[in-house]
Amino acid sequence: MHRREFLLSSAGTACALAAPPAGVTVLYDDRTVQLDHVRPDPKDLWVRSADLPRINEFTLKPQGACRADMCIPVPRELKSGPWFNLSGFAQRLHQASVHESGVWSFGEMPVLRGAYYRSRVPPDTAVPDRKGRTVHLSDFRGKKVLIVTWASW
Amino acid sequence: MKDQNFEIVAAAQDTGGEAVAGRWYDRANATFTTLIDAQHAVSSACQFINVPMGIWVDEKGRVVRPAEPAWTTDQVMKIAGDKTIVTEGRVYIDALRDWVRNGERSAYALSDDEFARRVKPRSAAEMEADASFKLAVWFHEKGNQELAAKYWEHAQQLNPDDWNYHRQEWSFGTDAGKKWMEKFQKLDKPYYPALEIKKQ
Repeated sequence: MHRREFLLSSAGTACALAAPPAGVTVLYDDRTVQLDHVRPDPKDLWVRSADLPRINEFTLKPQGACRADMCIPVPRELKSGPWFNLSGFAQRLHQASVHESGVWSFGEMPVLRGAYYRSRVPPDTAVPDRKGRTVHLSDFRGKKVLIVTWASW
Repeated sequence: MKDQNFEIVAAAQDTGGEAVAGRWYDRANATFTTLIDAQHAVSSACQFINVPMGIWVDEKGRVVRPAEPAWTTDQVMKIAGDKTIVTEGRVYIDALRDWVRNGERSAYALSDDEFARRVKPRSAAEMEADASFKLAVWFHEKGNQELAAKYWEHAQQLNPDDWNYHRQEWSFGTDAGKKWMEKFQKLDKPYYPALEIKKQ
């Protein structure tokens, strides 16, 4: 299936889900967040602004959506009462999102990737160890580190 | 090299997680940090497109050498016809030892200019492929193999140069080897990025 056909078929799926399920699962960075309350919308993912911190660590402030030392202005149309248009916000950031059957998966924020090219510090990511404990790549500051991937296949 | 303030962080990309990767860690008597990375989060963060690949990170968290093959042995593997996979482990390990010993004075520590030359910006399609792959893994873990396959293939189409997506197929079905061979035979660029590890 080519990309265009794929996107069209996904759009069809989205329309079919005009009455969305009670909850939505969001895959964002290394998190899987279950949201019990989302605003029904055939196209976009509207979440409660109060849920933003646990989804992507952003908080809405007068100057915009802020995370650590970064604030991104938020156009009025992305907010509606207690709701925030998360997919619209992603689109504004040129951040990819793919969704199906009540599960939304977001790609990385290009603005964070751009910081890597300038600073040489890669985006921090959290991965479980063998016992399920969360390990951040930044946990090894102060040491020289070889980060290597492998697989049994 | 552990006594030289050095740590290895290994991430297993098996979708089967600990159940599949754990025995390999056991067999290696791993004394380093062992991660289970079914989502390929490390590859996504570090821009790896095959395994094994690695980056070196200094004490300040800055990348000394960006994504490159991280082989440990020298091998020439004849795959089929005139196609081969050549691994260069000895030169890589020697360079790694040199950097661990000498830090930023190592001839293998890359300058900012060289770093910038080697690290390519990720395209929109590559980033969408990541999101799609992550969705596929979620469906796979929930037992919905039909949707997993749909988004798996979508990721492969968006970023066909990422062999992590193609090779992950070995976890599924019985025709993964055949499909891999077909893709490998059609390959018109190197299977691994070049290991450019000459002294600067």
